[in-house]
Amino acid sequence: MSDKKQVLLAVSAPPFWHCGRTIRSFSLHTLLALAPAAVLAVMQWGIPAARVMALAMLAAVLTETACRRAMGAKMTWGEDGTSAITGLLLAFLLPASAPWWIVVLGAAGAVGIGRMAFGGYGANPVCATLVGWALIYVSYPLPMDASATLLSTDLIDPLAKLRAFGADAVGLSSLDLLLGRQLGGLGAAQSGAILLGGIYIAARGIVHWQIPAAFLLGTAATASVFWIADPAAHAGPLFHIFGGSTMLAAFFLATEGSCSPHRVIPMWIFGLIGGALVVIIRTFGSYPDGAPFAVMLINLLAPMCSVIPTFPFGYRNGGRR
Amino acid sequence: MKQRHQILNDPRFRLVYDEHRPFTEAPAPRHLRLNREGFTLAPGVKKKTQVYPGMLLATHPSMEKGDLHSSVYGVISDINVRSIFIDSADPADLDGSVRDAVVEPFDLLASGLEGDALIEAVKKLGVNTKSIGKKCDVLVINGLNPEPGVAWAEPMLDGHCPEIGAAIKLLCRIGRAGRLILAVPEGTVIDSREFDGIEIAYVEPEYPNSIGELLIKRITGIELPEGWDYVGIHNVWSLGRVALRGLPLMRTVITIGRGAQHENFIVRNGTIVGDLLEDAGIEVENGDTIFRGGPRRGEGLDRLDRSITKGAIGFFLMKAGEVPPMDGDSPCINCGACVHICPTRIDPRMLSRYAEFARFDMSRKAYFGLCVDCGLCGYVCIARRPVLQYIRLAIAKLEQEDAIKRLVPIEPIGRN
Repeated sequence: MSDKKQVLLAVSAPPFWHCGRTIRSFSLHTLLALAPAAVLAVMQWGIPAARVMALAMLAAVLTETACRRAMGAKMTWGEDGTSAITGLLLAFLLPASAPWWIVVLGAAGAVGIGRMAFGGYGANPVCATLVGWALIYVSYPLPMDASATLLSTDLIDPLAKLRAFGADAVGLSSLDLLLGRQLGGLGAAQSGAILLGGIYIAARGIVHWQIPAAFLLGTAATASVFWIADPAAHAGPLFHIFGGSTMLAAFFLATEGSCSPHRVIPMWIFGLIGGALVVIIRTFGSYPDGAPFAVMLINLLAPMCSVIPTFPFGYRNGGRR
Repeated sequence: MKQRHQILNDPRFRLVYDEHRPFTEAPAPRHLRLNREGFTLAPGVKKKTQVYPGMLLATHPSMEKGDLHSSVYGVISDINVRSIFIDSADPADLDGSVRDAVVEPFDLLASGLEGDALIEAVKKLGVNTKSIGKKCDVLVINGLNPEPGVAWAEPMLDGHCPEIGAAIKLLCRIGRAGRLILAVPEGTVIDSREFDGIEIAYVEPEYPNSIGELLIKRITGIELPEGWDYVGIHNVWSLGRVALRGLPLMRTVITIGRGAQHENFIVRNGTIVGDLLEDAGIEVENGDTIFRGGPRRGEGLDRLDRSITKGAIGFFLMKAGEVPPMDGDSPCINCGACVHICPTRIDPRMLSRYAEFARFDMSRKAYFGLCVDCGLCGYVCIARRPVLQYIRLAIAKLEQEDAIKRLVPIEPIGRN
């Protein structure tokens, strides 16, 4: 061996084989899943929609880089794609008319306060996107209101109308809602496209399918209870599932790994409570769309769900250990 | 179901490879490096001692560990605390006494030895008896390939099955297990003459069913049932080889793999991996990874002059870029993939963190001892954390801690 040239081997830890999936590939698949909704939003609103989405993603990536620099962590320019997703999801909740400063403030808040303050991707206790969204939504309700764009469109906000005039006055079919013919967040309003993307990431195993399934089931069940009690005042289950940002919340916001449980039963509980909260906030709360707030609330509940114990291997049936 | 979903049907997890070629004898090695940690050198074994195949080099004080024999003609070039190094030589160049030395075959089957006496004889012939000599009600012989990528189990069940048959006879005579069950992949056709009188269990050959604890669960439907234990077919085959030949165990069967290719070789103990790669015509470049053992639980090697030791199951080369590289300090992102896939329902996510931040007391509360070392957690980790390695670190540290706790303080003398 001595006469051979020395080879520098890479030493690594087992397992040496890997499924090949990385944070970056997960992010790219998620962005791909969000693409249909983004395209539809641009088709509906034109350049202003593209402006909001691009600005939000750019601001999110730059905030992450700045925070990493301040923390003395390894410098990246958002290569893993996670901050771009946070930015894009935030843009999906904003109207096309959102002024630039509110977009930048929201994205910076989402990444800076929502994520980096807790140590980076995967350490946040509450969905980072929603932290940024709540910051600007509560502070500046007027420019955040999609109704400000009413002059330039024929679309109506189904949730605002439901709140003001009751279920009969809405006049939008489930198909209209599914095809995105509603006024709301840029991407959140494109329920059908979001559903497609959501099914894609669930089928690829990027999110656990149980959470969106439980979330939508919880929404439908709670809405049904109200609807059966008084069909004139309350909208049906399909309206609540396809209207507003329920679909986006179920597939993309509630499933964020760090703030959702990881075992099957806790996931179902987590999702069902979230779905129920959507309808409860929409019915009794002071904000028309309850989905983002519902997700933030169940995020706080996730650690509680996680303490539901499992039987470790061999404990249930009298094993030896 | 949940595993399929997570792994996205990795075809490599199917543990049958339709591999029936007989094992190839690897070329005689030019250098040997034998592990001697824990062994006591035999009298007269020192630097420049000339050795012959089957010559006793060192004994192990434990009854569970086989003694160490030379596997070539040669000269001991160096001995350090860990290894014995041998340069192989042409017998004609050695002294007459070494050249003509013959190891007398010892026929274990005809000897009539039973029980502990048989265990001792097997140990003296170089076979590790830890798992062969387990005391239990039912001993399952794990006839599945232990890990994806390792491919010698199928030939052991057909072309090379006389060894298994002989070993089963010996296991019955050792008599420490009340019942023997041979677990084989579903659809295997068994030669009933060789496996006469042994119960056969058919198991779905899908990783991680080849892990002993999970295999027993597959067979019985019970998790960790009382009185059941397992032994790998590799070890059983070695026992059978010794029984048939009567000579000390000097060779081990390994799978040499690279990418999707694999081939089984019978390799002499202590063969230097660099020589092995050269003989197999495999080129190693900067940045490649080589490892001893299986692709799931093996051990990465830092240099080409490491060797194949007794009981090694495989040797693999992985080209740079085949899998995403591992960044040592990448933090956990809480995606939950490992929690979801763990077959023993422990929480590798938290266990790896406890080890990362040296909170071993917390590992204890999180059932660290249930880990069956399957490595699926690291396989699915999208952050490329060495999850399995962290759990192994915790297990090692806690074993040390327990060992220290068992120490009895010495009473000072003359204080009355």
